[in-house]
Amino acid sequence: MTALVEINAPASAPTVAPRRPFVALLRRPMGAIGVGMLLIALAVAILAPFIAPYDPYANVRVTIFDIYQAPSGAHLLGTDDRGKDVFSALLYGTRVSLLVGFSAALIALVIGGLVGIVAGYRGGRIGAGLMRITDFFLVIPDLALQIVIVAIAGQSLVNIIIVIGALGWTTTARVVRSQTLSVRERKFVLRAKAIGAGDIHILRRHILPQVLPLMLAIMVLVISLAILAESTLAFLGLGDPTLTSWGQMLNFAFTRGAVSAGAWWALIPPGFAIVWVVLGTTLLGTALEEALNPRLKRHHLERDRSGSRPVPELDGAGSLVLPPPRPANAPLLSVRDLVVEFDSPSGPLRAVDGVSFDMRRGETIGLVGESGSGKTTTVLAMLRLLPPGGRVVSGQVMFDGEDLMGLDARKLRAVRWSRLAIVFQGAMNALNPVRTVGDQVAEAIRTHEPSAGRRAAITRAEELLERVGIPRQRARDYPHTYSGGMRQRAMIALALACSPDIVVADEPTTALDVMIQAQILELLAGLSSELGMATIMVTHDLGVVGQRCDRVLVMYGGIIAEEAEAFRLYAHPQHPYTQQLLASFPDLSHPERKLAGIAGIPPRLDDMPPGCPFAPRCPHVFDRCRVERPPAYDLSHGRRAACFLVEPGHERRPASAGGAADA
Amino acid sequence: MPDTMPVLRVEGLEKRFPGHRSLLDVLQRRAARDVRAVDGLSFEVMPGEVLALVGESGCGKTTTGNLLLGLMPSSAGRVTVDGHEVGSLSHRELLRLRRTVQMIFQDPYESLNPRMQVAEIVAEPLRVHGEAGTPQETKERVLNALVQAGMTPPEAYLHRLPFELSGGQRQRVAIAAALALRPRLLVADEPVSMLDVSIRAEILNLLRALADEHGIAVLMITHDLSTVAAYADRIAVMYLGRIVEIGDARTVLGNPQHPYTRALRSVVPVPDPSARRRPVILSGETPDPSRIPSGCRFHPRCPVAFARCPTVDPPLYDLGSGHLAACLLVEDAAQAEAVAPAAPAVPAATERTAEAPPAG
Repeated sequence: MTALVEINAPASAPTVAPRRPFVALLRRPMGAIGVGMLLIALAVAILAPFIAPYDPYANVRVTIFDIYQAPSGAHLLGTDDRGKDVFSALLYGTRVSLLVGFSAALIALVIGGLVGIVAGYRGGRIGAGLMRITDFFLVIPDLALQIVIVAIAGQSLVNIIIVIGALGWTTTARVVRSQTLSVRERKFVLRAKAIGAGDIHILRRHILPQVLPLMLAIMVLVISLAILAESTLAFLGLGDPTLTSWGQMLNFAFTRGAVSAGAWWALIPPGFAIVWVVLGTTLLGTALEEALNPRLKRHHLERDRSGSRPVPELDGAGSLVLPPPRPANAPLLSVRDLVVEFDSPSGPLRAVDGVSFDMRRGETIGLVGESGSGKTTTVLAMLRLLPPGGRVVSGQVMFDGEDLMGLDARKLRAVRWSRLAIVFQGAMNALNPVRTVGDQVAEAIRTHEPSAGRRAAITRAEELLERVGIPRQRARDYPHTYSGGMRQRAMIALALACSPDIVVADEPTTALDVMIQAQILELLAGLSSELGMATIMVTHDLGVVGQRCDRVLVMYGGIIAEEAEAFRLYAHPQHPYTQQLLASFPDLSHPERKLAGIAGIPPRLDDMPPGCPFAPRCPHVFDRCRVERPPAYDLSHGRRAACFLVEPGHERRPASAGGAADA
Repeated sequence: MPDTMPVLRVEGLEKRFPGHRSLLDVLQRRAARDVRAVDGLSFEVMPGEVLALVGESGCGKTTTGNLLLGLMPSSAGRVTVDGHEVGSLSHRELLRLRRTVQMIFQDPYESLNPRMQVAEIVAEPLRVHGEAGTPQETKERVLNALVQAGMTPPEAYLHRLPFELSGGQRQRVAIAAALALRPRLLVADEPVSMLDVSIRAEILNLLRALADEHGIAVLMITHDLSTVAAYADRIAVMYLGRIVEIGDARTVLGNPQHPYTRALRSVVPVPDPSARRRPVILSGETPDPSRIPSGCRFHPRCPVAFARCPTVDPPLYDLGSGHLAACLLVEDAAQAEAVAPAAPAVPAATERTAEAPPAG
């Protein structure tokens, strides 16, 4: 998914620096507040003997007048049923509640973690058995069992901790198991096995470090559950009667007439304290989960604010607006100075920086570039399908006389897909798994031609599928019965459903085998010449460009470095990047050629060179390149190149030997 | 190199995965169809040689890699590494053997533990095999491996985390980790397919240099014939778990003898627009390895199949100078070779034309 990499990498890199997860945590308001609240509770628990005005455990004589005294200077929160200071009891209660919470959570975590890791890593019968036991514990009503056990075993603090811990591990076990399972499947674990590492080593070095942060997040939540459980038990009269905890305070207040005495001060403070700690832990837990798993925050295919949709969902029919007739020689598509930016914590990042090109009817254009070059972003921006955080800053996309950037959502939908369709990379995974393929193609037809009847649409869908090489009877099958190549064909059928003028194929064959790739490319070429469709082929494969494209746009660092007809580009590349790219690309027709890689790496969006984006890697670089961005110079035969070396009057023209003979 | 011993010798390697048996199959007393992922594979890799194992997905090339690394047990056949038969080794010996065979995976974004620093990643194999020695020795070997993998200056990378490195650098780290144990054989499974085009050549040049300068044997598992042509010494084309053609890379690609190789060769897109030609596009996809066709396994898709193909399973016919092809069409040429071994195998073999007519 080039699009994903291109868009997410720079935006998420600064926020997910795994080296300082704590800093990332505190940057989130939820995390900072949660940590603050818990630190206060912890400080209170530790300092209780020093800040409490009275000792709730001290034996003091009380008279009837001391009971349920309203708050006053002597007793900030009044007194309770035994005439003791509520404020002091509250402070001391923090110790018991937190002690129970942390100890019980630790027990739950150790049991749950062990069960989860063993079940996830071992798998097989042991894993299945452990998970059945977990399921069993999960359906037992916790509270009822806790009450029974505590009642039988005795109401001591230790018993309460053990009971809460021993019954609270199930969630941990399930979450840890699924995380272990997914880590176990990852390639670095396989690599460790290939090195010859044993299970213990793999668990310690590879699995645990991936699972522990997650357990930390769970732990915080388990703590809050344990505190709640302790309060509940104490409230029900099953707490340790010798200790003051918040639940115990509530219990005594309720059973000993605080309500009838109107002594709200004996009820509200312990209640508030419980809410305080539980809220604090919950906030911290949520923030932790987000900090450790940034993807929770936003999905890249989420609908964006402007209302345009990422994947062409084919609902919301828009009637087709017939465009006014155009002069025959005008370009079908004309992109002018397209600029696209993505939001990031460090300010907007420019992914596409002034892209312009024209396209005629029936033409096949190759948009070539490496990941991060902006090729996918360019086509997504053209169709206004940018993911959230991305926007077109300026520029025009004239399609058959209309500026797509200015269309309202309804009109845009009518153009999109029916006249300008896109086949995504990995699109074979974009079919709805619970509906037959024929149904989905028929739906696409009917969305844009509401007049077509259901039967007629299905018949046409079957014809379309046949045309892309899928037998008619398979239209009634579900996508999972199709192979990858067939699904990609089905996606092409879907794209062709409305006979569009332009098909954008974004890496249409990247995940496919060469033979299937050849079949798909042949299919696209045949269909486009038959139907007079223009095709934009977005690819990194110079071979696909050489074999299938009329004209080529080479993108680098968000600009079009060079544009030329395919054979001229290959024979006489003008831009140093094109020359080097050709020299680094293996060519079966010239196996004797020694390949040379391009030193350095493609520029990152958040670290774009001020001058020519290729300057840091360019062998012909000179001072001007580093400070000034070269414009696109028009050359003969309708070619363009954005390089000072081809500037008219520049004496040092780059070696214009063919890419093949070069080097 | 007839006097040197191959680093890797594979003889009749097989891997079957037990097939599913539906209730209907049980009722009709049909046997389960095993998936024959690797079905009688034999080849050798010499020190300093790069052998490319080529084929489409599902042909068993990745399974082969996993078998060689001992990541899964084989069903039949012999794998001999450096003279030791892998199957006969105890667990402990197998672990020691792993030192001589190291693997490089396809996805450098996935195959490095994101929480480990470069120094730890490269030192891990040493630790696992108890070769770490003193911290000073470890550091020296880590630095050496990084230099070998082209990460200079190595000190600058020691404390980086994978996310701070580019894709090419990550793959270099993976290679450095593989080199730390000074292996004799590297198994590289699609080592560059996840990398940017401009980075690929550097990594491939690095692998080539390791073979040329350090005598490390490289088994490159790939689907990319263009890469093979540029980097491999020999090529083995796999189809449905078996090698259908093997030989010197230039010879096989310049003058493919098996119709499958010929078709594969013709569909590889080349960047030169003047070299556009009509590809031989095979219909359909690679058949399900649980239903391998009778006779020649390629015959249902073969454009030049004839009457004998569905009944005779062709062995690999020797066409001379190490070029072998499993096709009945080359049977005669191979026999001529057997009679007069000194004569050039096939007249067309010396020409490097892509459009050589079928040798039948």
